[in-house]
This record gives sequence, C-alpha cells and structure tokens, in this order.
Amino acid sequence: MLIALIVFVAVGILFMGATFLLSRLLRPHRPNPVKLQSYECGPEPFSDAWRQMNLHYYVFAILFVLFDVEAAFLFPVALALGKLGWFAFFEVLLFVGLLLVGWYYAKRVGGMEWER
Amino acid sequence: MSLVLDHLLSIIVLAPFAGCLLLLALPPEWKTASRVVALVSGGISLALSCVAWALYDGAKGGFQFRESYQWIPGLDIRYSLGADGISLSMLLLTGVIIVTGVFASWTLEERCKEFLTLLLFLVTGVFGVFVALDLFFLFLFYEIAVLPMYLLIGIWGTGRKEYSAMKLTLYLMLGSAFILTGILALYYLDPRRTFDMLELSGGSELAVGLQRALFFAFYLGFGVLAGIFPFHTWSPDGHASAPTAVSMLHAGVLMKLGAYGVIRTCVAMFPEVAPSLMPIVAAIAAINIVYGAFSALGQTDLKYVIAYSSVSHMGVVMLGIASLAPVGMAGAVMQMFSHGIMTGLFFALVGLVYQKAHTRDILAMGGFARRMPGIAVAFTVGGLASFGLPGTSGFVAETLVFLGTFARYPVIVAVAVTGVVITAVYVLRVVQKVFLGPLGEAWSELPDARSTEWVALVSLAALLVAVGVWPMPLVNLINHGLRTLGMEL
Amino acid sequence: MPDRFLFPIPQDLDWFALGPIIVVVATGLVALIVEMLRHKRNNAYVVGVSVVGLLVAGAMAASQAGEPAKEILAGTFLRDRFGCVVQVLMVAACLLSVLFSEGYLRQKRIAYGEAYPLMLWATAGGMVMATSRNLVTLFVGLELLSVSLYVLAGLSRTEAKSEESALKYFLLGAFASAFLLYGIALFYGATGSLHLGRVAEVWTSGFETGRSLLAVGMALILIGLSFKSAFVPFHQWTPDVYQGAPTNIAAFMAAGSKVAAVAMLYRVLDAAQPMVALWLPPLFWVAILTMVVGNLAALVQKDAKRLLAYSSISHAGYLLVALLARFKAPDVVSDAALLYYLASYSFMTIGAFAVISVAARAGRESTGLSALNGLWQRSPFAAVALLLFVWSLIGVPGASGFVGKLLIFRDALAADLVPLAIVLAVASVVSVAYYLALVRAAWVADESEADAAVAPLNAGSGLALGICAAGVLGLFVFVGPLLGWMAGPRSAEAERAPIVRQG
Repeated sequence: MLIALIVFVAVGILFMGATFLLSRLLRPHRPNPVKLQSYECGPEPFSDAWRQMNLHYYVFAILFVLFDVEAAFLFPVALALGKLGWFAFFEVLLFVGLLLVGWYYAKRVGGMEWER
Repeated sequence: MSLVLDHLLSIIVLAPFAGCLLLLALPPEWKTASRVVALVSGGISLALSCVAWALYDGAKGGFQFRESYQWIPGLDIRYSLGADGISLSMLLLTGVIIVTGVFASWTLEERCKEFLTLLLFLVTGVFGVFVALDLFFLFLFYEIAVLPMYLLIGIWGTGRKEYSAMKLTLYLMLGSAFILTGILALYYLDPRRTFDMLELSGGSELAVGLQRALFFAFYLGFGVLAGIFPFHTWSPDGHASAPTAVSMLHAGVLMKLGAYGVIRTCVAMFPEVAPSLMPIVAAIAAINIVYGAFSALGQTDLKYVIAYSSVSHMGVVMLGIASLAPVGMAGAVMQMFSHGIMTGLFFALVGLVYQKAHTRDILAMGGFARRMPGIAVAFTVGGLASFGLPGTSGFVAETLVFLGTFARYPVIVAVAVTGVVITAVYVLRVVQKVFLGPLGEAWSELPDARSTEWVALVSLAALLVAVGVWPMPLVNLINHGLRTLGMEL
Repeated sequence: MPDRFLFPIPQDLDWFALGPIIVVVATGLVALIVEMLRHKRNNAYVVGVSVVGLLVAGAMAASQAGEPAKEILAGTFLRDRFGCVVQVLMVAACLLSVLFSEGYLRQKRIAYGEAYPLMLWATAGGMVMATSRNLVTLFVGLELLSVSLYVLAGLSRTEAKSEESALKYFLLGAFASAFLLYGIALFYGATGSLHLGRVAEVWTSGFETGRSLLAVGMALILIGLSFKSAFVPFHQWTPDVYQGAPTNIAAFMAAGSKVAAVAMLYRVLDAAQPMVALWLPPLFWVAILTMVVGNLAALVQKDAKRLLAYSSISHAGYLLVALLARFKAPDVVSDAALLYYLASYSFMTIGAFAVISVAARAGRESTGLSALNGLWQRSPFAAVALLLFVWSLIGVPGASGFVGKLLIFRDALAADLVPLAIVLAVASVVSVAYYLALVRAAWVADESEADAAVAPLNAGSGLALGICAAGVLGLFVFVGPLLGWMAGPRSAEAERAPIVRQG
C-alpha cells in the first residue's frame, strides 16, 4: 500500500519534472520588454496593485456573489421540482424571501449607490 | 421561642449575615446606624452563644443543638450544624471579639458601611466554621472567613497594605487548596463516602500511609492559618497592616480556626496515625513558640511585636493539641480562648495608641502612662496574661498545656518553656519603653481612651482576669467538648 | 401530476425539535426588519423583539430536554438532552449580552441596531453546533456563528483596536475553518459519509488506509476546533480579539462562542470515542498547557479585558479536562460536570464583562484595570456583583464556580486523570492572584486614578448583572436539581457510584 503510494508520488514528480525540462530544451528563448509586460484583461496596468479601492466595489462584489449563488441554487431546484414537490417549492420561496430581506437591507443602507 | 431554640446555631451564624445584608441596603451616610446594626447583629450572636452555653447539657456531652438538612442528595452533602464544648467556647470568644471589635472601631469614618459589612460577612464564616459538622460546609465557612480579609486589609490597612493583603490571601488560599484536597481525597477514598464529620471521626479504615498523607494535608492546610512555622510569615505582615478591628478578629479568632480545624480533622479523624505524627507537630510548635518570641523581641514596631507574639502563642496551642491527652488538649482550647481575648485586647490597645500618637515606633514613645493611664493598665494586664502570670487566663492555659505535654515530649517542652521567659522579656520591654520613663515633649497632649473604646478595653481585660481567677466554668465546658474526641479530664 | 407532488414532507421532520433554532433565526430576521422600519436611532423595539424571541426559543429548548433523543432529517439534526441544555445556555448567553448591550453601545456611541440580529444569528449558529452529528451541518453552524462575530467584533468602526480585533479574528477564524474543512474532507474520504456516527464502523473495520485517513482528518478537525475553543497553543488571537471587540461582544464571544465550540468538540469526541487512545494523549497535554499558560499569562495583564481573555483560556482548559474525563471513562462520568461548568462559566464571565462595560462613557472606553477604580463608589451594585463573580471565578465555595470545579475534579479522578486534577487545583490557586487584581482595581485602588465622571448603571446592565449574580448563586444553591436536569436521571445514580480505579 505504502509502496504504491511512493511509486505514485515519484512517477508524478518525475513526469512533471521531465515535461518542464523538455519544454525548456525545445522552446525558443527571445524575451523583449513588451513581451514580459504583465497585463490585466487586455489593458496595460497603470499603477501598483496595492492602491486603495473604493469600498463600494466590495459591497457590489459581495452582492453579486450573493445573487449569483442564489441563481446557482435555483436552477437545479427548478429542474428537479417535479420530483421534489411543493415542499421544495416553498423552501425555495423561503430562501428567496430571506435574500430579499437582505437585498432590501443592502439597498436601505445605500449599498446600491455608487456615489453617496 | 422554640423556633429560636431549634435553630439556635443557625441564628448565631446567620445573624451577622442578616446584618450584612441590612447594611448593604443602608445609605452610606448613615454611619451611626451602620455601627448600631453591626453591634446588634454581633450582639445577637454573642447573646445566643451565651444562651447555648447555659443550655448545653454537660451530663449528656457530645454535639448538641443539632440541625441537619439535605442539600445535595447525590453527593450526600448536608447542612449540618452542632456544637460541643470546644465549639461553644470558640463561639463565645468570637462573639466577644466581634462586639468589642465593633466598639474599638467605632470612630472609623472612611467607608464605614463597607467596612462593617465585610466584618460581619467574615464573622458569619467564623461562626459557621465553629459549628459546621459537614466538611463541605466547614470549608465553605472557612473561605467566607478568610477571603474578605483581602479587602479589609487592602482598603483600610496601613503601611504596605496591598502587599500584606495579597501575601496573606495567597498563603491562606494555598492552605485552602491543601484542605480541599484532603476533604476530597477523604470523600473519594473512604468507603463511607460522606462529608459528615461525625461519621468520619473516630477512626478510618484507610491504609496507614494514606491516613498519614491526609493528616499532613489537613495539618498543613489548617496550619497555615494557625501560623505554623515556616508558613507564619503572612501573619506578622497581615496583622501589622490590618486595621484595628480586623487585627483583633484575625489574630483573636481567625488563627483559632486553624487550630480548631486541626482538632476536628487531624485529631478526631485519624486517631491511628496521630500519635506517631504528633511529635513533628510538637517540634514545629516549639519552634513557633521560641522563634516567635525571639522575633517579637527584635521588633521596634509595636504592632509587629504583638503580631509575632501571636505566632508564639499559637505555638502553645499547637503544642497542647500535639499532646493528644486531655490535660494538654484542654490547655490548648483554653489557650485559644485566652489568647483570643488577650490578643484582641492588645490590638485594640495598639490601635488606640496609634490613633492618638500616630506612630507605632516603640523607640519614639515613652512615658505614655502619664497621659493614658487606662490604656497603660489594660496593656499591662494583657502583658501579664501573655507570659502567663498566675491570676490571668494565660496562666491556666499555659500551665495546662505544659503539664499535659511534658510527660510525652520532655525535651520539646523544655525548649518551649524558654519561650515563656522571652515573652516576659519582650512584654516588659514594651511596657517599659512605651508607658514608663519620662514623657517626651511631643506627647504632652495625648488623650486617654474614650467612651466606646473603654467598653472594649474594660470588658476584654476583665475577662482575662475573670477566667484566670475562676477558670472552672470554662474548663468544664471544654471538658465536655473533649468527650467528643474520646478524652476526658 | 404525480401524487407525491402534493406535499411530501420528509418523514422524520419534527418542527418542534427544530423550533428553538428556527425561532432564533426568524427573530433575527424580524429584528432586522424592525431595525429598518424604526424611527431615528432608537433600538428599544429591536431589543424588545430580540428578548422575546430568545425567551420563546429558550423555553422551547428547555421543554424538550427530558424527551428521548432522536435524529431527524436523515441525521442532519439531533435532539438530545445535551443539545437542549446547550441551546438553553446559548440563548441565555445571548440574552444576557443583549440586555446590557444597549446601554453600553449608547455610551460608546455605536448603537447600531444591526448588532442585535447579528448576535441572534450567531446564537443560532452556536445552537446548530450543539445539535448535529453531521459534519457539514456542524460546519455551517460554526460559520454562521463565526461570520456574525467577525462583523460584530468590528462594530466600533472608528476604533483602530476594534478593526484590528475583527481582522485578526477573521484571519485566524478562516485559518481554523480551513483546517476544519480539510479535516472534514479527509473524513469524508475515509468514511464515505459526513455523519459522525460512521467513525466507529470505519475505525473497527481494520481497513488501514481508511483508519489513517480518518486519524488525520480527525486531527485536523480537532485542531480547527481547538482554535475556536482557544486552547493553548491555538489561543493567541483571544486576548487581542477580546480587548478590541466591544465589551458586550467580547462577553458573548467568551461565553456563547466558547459554549458552542466546546459543544461541537463534545459531538466530535463523542463520535471519536473508539479512537480515544489516539487523541487522548495530545489533548491531555493541550489541557495542561492551556491551564498553565492561561493562568500564568493572566498574572501580568494590566487590561481588564485581556485579563478576562486569559481567564477564559484557563477556563477552556478546565472544560477540556471535563471533556477528557467524560470520554475516557464514559461509564462512570456523565455530562453533568461539563454542562454545569459551562452554565456557571457563562454567568460569571458575562457578569464580569458587564461590570467592565460600566467603565464606558461618552464615546470612549478605557479597559485598563484602572478604569475600574472607584467603582465601589460610582456603582456599588456593580462592584458588589464583581466581588461575587470573582468569588466564583476563583472557585471558592459559596458560588457556582466552586461546584463546577469540584465536579470536574471529581470526574478527573474518576477517569484516572490524576495529573489533570492536580494541575487544575494548583491553577485555581494561582488564579487567585490575578482575579484579585480585578477586586483591587474596583475596591482598593486609589480613587484619584479614577475618572470623575459618573455613568449611572442603566436598567439593562443592572438587570443583566442581577441575573448573572442570581445565576451564579442559584447554580450553587440548587445544584442537586440542576445536575439532575442537565444530565438526566442516570446521573443521580452515577454520582454515588463507587469510583472504578485502574491499576
């Protein structure tokens, strides 16, 4: 059992190492400044990554994730609703209702406005 | 009336506690009212202790005024009270000291209400220890008696008060840990599985080694409070820093809790191993007597002299206990009573002298007898009792102790008796330095004691002499108590 | 339309058993809605709703304690005596914290109504942690508790200390969660299930890989929970977090969060009973370390909240002793000591924090010990209550702390864990020194150090202090019936059963 594990790990490391080595030997190596420049979603970076961000960016991000996940839950339930029945239907309603309260709270404290 | 008589001991214990609760409800400005409440609740306990003394049936002996209620059935813990002759004499002592203590601190103004509240709380614990017949409640009351001391010394003390308070508390908590370990070990190892002290006394079926270990746990635990060498160092610091009434209570009564605890546990519960271990106790007691006396000789602070004398006198008590014989044991209890009154008187006097002269340095004083004759007389009476002059209670007690122990430990007693001589030296030295000789310029306006203070001084000094002249009532009472230990004069 | 589409409610769904948790969560929701609808900055209704909801939930949980244990929703939820008692304790801890919150938060000028729903949800999380044997449910409960507390710790947004507290708590909490989650994953790998009940089966199966995988998974789960319970050496976050968090939140963390973490630990160790030989030795040393380090470090603290934080660490050590004794000798040791100690600890700790919260006024709060100076004069009631709590925390007879330690001490002896019993006793003696520092600050220290301004004790704080004091005394006086309620009728016999000594 243990030997099998060691062999597995060893083969893994060997294979990875061999692949890297091989590509290193085969590929051409001609760097220039433009090539080495990092980029974000296409445009060139214009400052340090550690600059301060507007806090609202995070609020939006969190809200987005929240409702994104909600949707991710809704689809499978919708597909299986025939099997799950009314109980599941009301359960989902409750789930959406909870999030609705949260959404209303976020709106009330100004989470949806960019400028305040 | 029968309600009172049926719950006599409970009322003695709880009267100070009721006073304590009442004080909490009073506004802090009502200082005189607070003092009266403290006096009355302490007085009730004292009066009922006297009633108990009168009602105690000597012919029947044993523990009387029993009360017993189940508290935790699963652990067989009972609220169980009872008093024999030893308990009763200690109850009387406590009652006298708390009442005179309140009188002695009548003029205390700073945070008066809180002071009296804590004092009464502490006294509740003291009364409780002396009547508890259940190890659990014994320990509960013991802690109630010990812990308020931190605040009493820390707030109202003098000098290095916080250091002394902390030292005292830590030492006594360490002692408590030993006691608790002993109690629990006894409970869990003994097949009887009980906290009932009556059931546990008279012998144990445990292995001898285990009994020895338990004996030492209790001896060390209670001994710390009784000031046994080398765990006595908290006592001079604590007593010297404490305010008057607290010193009186602590040296007068609390240290007796330690000796009382040793009697109720070590002596009563392990009669098999006690004879073989008592020589150690006696030897340590002799060290206490001599070392304490020498230390007192070297002090220049009046309060430290008295504090070290307590260490020395508690040695006499422990020596008497070590005799395991009726005469010595009676002497030990007698000494507990006598020393309680005596040291209460001393600390009351030192408090008065300090309050009026604002110094406790013996070397700075002199000739005080001219300005404060009453205090000087009272101090001399106390001093005479301290080295056991015939006609004072100290004489009866020390004679009984030394008589009772000499046959058993001749060498140790011979050493211990030298302590009495040294006691005479330091007592007379203090009397000479402080009260005799020429009166210094600075002291020409010193007042003598005042009205309420007189009550304390006169009653304590009178008790010392009365017990010395006519000790039989007290000796009889103690003698009834010895029967519960299987001894009799 | 098929028949089953009508309303196929799961067979084993028992709404009443789930009731306490549902009520607390719903109360949180209602409180949030009330908070949104209320006028100005008046939280009276929010507090009112929270208190009513908590009382209902507590009553529901208490009424079920005596009923037979049962698993519902395919083992996701477990209702038994232990769970019900812990639920009551969680609710009580939250209730007491809520009671003294409003006055304190107003004094500190951070009276955000959101604090109450968050506290309620944290409580619900803790209640879930006590009433499940399914690792994912337990984890969800833990996260519900933790996430709410991360926010609450940072409630005082303008204070750097509070922010630091929140961030530190979040980072270390996330770290702990990672351990826990990894452990759960390995557990699943080993047993093919998330139900804790499978441990015994896999462990006794003799399938070596499964066993080692399970052992590693359990170790990781235990490490994660040790973080949450603040056992040494996983305790470093505690003093900083307690010090920085608002005092009412610190009180809830110290009591509620600890109760929940210990309850979850109980569930895990209960299931891991067959592996006891494996986890007992390391946890044995952890317990000793926790008691020693917690007490020694507390000796040098100058800040009341840090002092209480270290105190809570040492009490976690005592609780661990109770757990170890319980599972080392399950036949002779009942849950009574653990539950009793949790209850006693909650009352005295929340009480002590409530006393400290009195020092806050006019938007400022100093938590140094000297902030308590002159308390006996400013607020005699709080000062007397503090005496009682310290009395109990030290473990002197006359208050619940003593009985708690006594029971743990007894169980440790019964389970033949004598070294732990000795360390516990010695640690208690050491603790006298630092607890007296609290008394010294409130009663003895020179008043000139005290701030002259007087903040009168508000009704809520007074009520909370009164209940805590009554709890500490009541637990002591009525220890017999309470033990019976906490551990069931079985315990009454066990109390007197002779100790089985090995060797």
